Amino acid sequence: MNQAHKKPSRRTFMQTAGTVVAAPYVLTSSALGRSDRAPASDRIVMGGIGIGNMGNGDQEQFFTRGDVQYVASSDVRKGVRETAKAKVDAHYANSDCQLYNDFRELIARDDIDAVHIATPDHWHAIMVIEACRAGKDVYCQKPETRTLREGPLMVEAARRYARIVSGGSQRVLEDYHNVVDPCWNGELGEIRSINVNVGPLSQPCNLPAEDPPDDIDWDLWLGPAPWAPYNSKRCDGNFGTNGGSWRSYIDYSGGGMTDWGAHHFGGATFAIDVREMQPKQIIYNDTAEGKYLTYKYPNGRLLYHNRPGKGHMEVEGTPDEKREAKPIPTYKGTGGIYGDFIECVKTREKPFRDIELAVNSVTVSHLGIIAYTLERSLNWNADTQRFSRDDEANRYLDRARREPWQL
Amino acid sequence: MVDKAFETLQSYDWGDDRGALQPIDDALVATQHHAAGRKDLEDRLIAVLQSNATRNGKDFVCRKLKVIGTEASVPALAAMLSDANHTHMARYALESMPSAAAGRALREALPKLTGDARVGVIGSLGVRQDESCVAALASLLGDEDGLTAISAARALAAIRTAEAAKALASAKPHRAAPRAIADASLACAETLLAAGNKIAALAIYKRLSKYDPPKLVKIAATRGMLACAAK
Repeated sequence: MNQAHKKPSRRTFMQTAGTVVAAPYVLTSSALGRSDRAPASDRIVMGGIGIGNMGNGDQEQFFTRGDVQYVASSDVRKGVRETAKAKVDAHYANSDCQLYNDFRELIARDDIDAVHIATPDHWHAIMVIEACRAGKDVYCQKPETRTLREGPLMVEAARRYARIVSGGSQRVLEDYHNVVDPCWNGELGEIRSINVNVGPLSQPCNLPAEDPPDDIDWDLWLGPAPWAPYNSKRCDGNFGTNGGSWRSYIDYSGGGMTDWGAHHFGGATFAIDVREMQPKQIIYNDTAEGKYLTYKYPNGRLLYHNRPGKGHMEVEGTPDEKREAKPIPTYKGTGGIYGDFIECVKTREKPFRDIELAVNSVTVSHLGIIAYTLERSLNWNADTQRFSRDDEANRYLDRARREPWQL
Repeated sequence: MVDKAFETLQSYDWGDDRGALQPIDDALVATQHHAAGRKDLEDRLIAVLQSNATRNGKDFVCRKLKVIGTEASVPALAAMLSDANHTHMARYALESMPSAAAGRALREALPKLTGDARVGVIGSLGVRQDESCVAALASLLGDEDGLTAISAARALAAIRTAEAAKALASAKPHRAAPRAIADASLACAETLLAAGNKIAALAIYKRLSKYDPPKLVKIAATRGMLACAAK
């Protein structure tokens, strides 16, 4: 039988309910909790959406926690679903993990508190918003958005329903201590700028049609993206951006500029403390040494992209004029960014990569892509989320979603 | 080079060399500040849409018209809205166009379409925040197709004017749509409150609280009422 969850019939449901009532109630050690395992009533009940590659790692980070009960997985590939179930069931020594081809069935379950999402990027906004509407807290892999219009709608859904929504870049806090710490502890004085070297931009995809394997729901993989025939490279989830993965292609990703950009721009904006704002101007520089961008923030700080002669994450400050140290924001709970999310689900505090901060950092990537595409400078109004008096650039704010998908 | 690229579009298929179309991309950049050159390019792209070019060839054209299309492109794109193979990419171009004609084409298509094509157009009207179609969208909230009703609610949420809020309040919705209507009403209330229209926002929150809504909506409405009180 297909492992995808089948909705139980009313008759089946009644039979199952009867069995439960008739069975003797035994309190297991698992239900009561052990030293490393919270009682069942204190565990966060979770499911995962998009559980190949990065999602597979995320899933393991969650189901191995004693304060999580992992009960469901969704993926459009049957083989990926079944592998995920085998891992979860082996961990719990049961066969309870339910599988779904369609994420909407997983989200509709009332018993699930939180979901993690690691699908290709073109799906993120729809899934995050739908999960919030269904009352789920969400951990969403980076880059959290595929277009500029998506970000504010994701933040809005999170706030409307008071959901905890964490972005998924563990590197922002964990990889850049050597840059972040001297900025925040005042060693570098007044921070002027930082440079990020990252790329490339994604490219159009015209891979040939291949016969889709039987175990993939190709239409659901494409979802809101333009229709295209199946090709194994088009949907491969490897981390490359040079043509052999969905990360290479415009319809699904911004390429390295958003994929690694979410990490690097996230780390850079954290270091120079502009995570809570968006740039107001993006200056396109075309010089003999190369093309690069200068992002200007409302507080005067600058973020360069690929500035010739500058090192990656190189900060300009005034080291001769030390400043007072500021406390550096960090994770809550234990277990890195995953623990931060779970702790915030319990306490209802904002996580380290709260969705609003995540959106701000990925916005840097999107603004840069548009400036490079148009080969000119842009003025961005963060309040209206539009380019000022710039109809041409405003055409890039979003993309029509393939029917029936909508935000 | 450009002539050859346009020729290629006629038979362009998945798997063909994408580089063969690069001269068209280059010409679009080169004509950025040359209106006559742009006009010529747009005319040639429109001609491809009106020819027997392949689906992939026409998809390529729609991607370009999203970026440069003017009112001149609208009739050719509008003609594709009812074609299941082309309706999405036609919207891909039309949805982003600042031209009023693009909005008019989407509005005029609405009563002529059914199923997913209509759902798509509803979504695009929402993204364009087309206030003039509030009444048309409102009439779809009770449509016999649940997905159409939900999409209409989402589109009204995107438009989020006082008129959109009124339409949502007076809807007799399809049985699948109440949650989408509640969500859309909350979106309208948030926007009205942010604009200083506390009375209208409060009325929405009170109405939502009144009829034993799902817990999530009730909490959101209660928080909204508190926000109104704090303003």
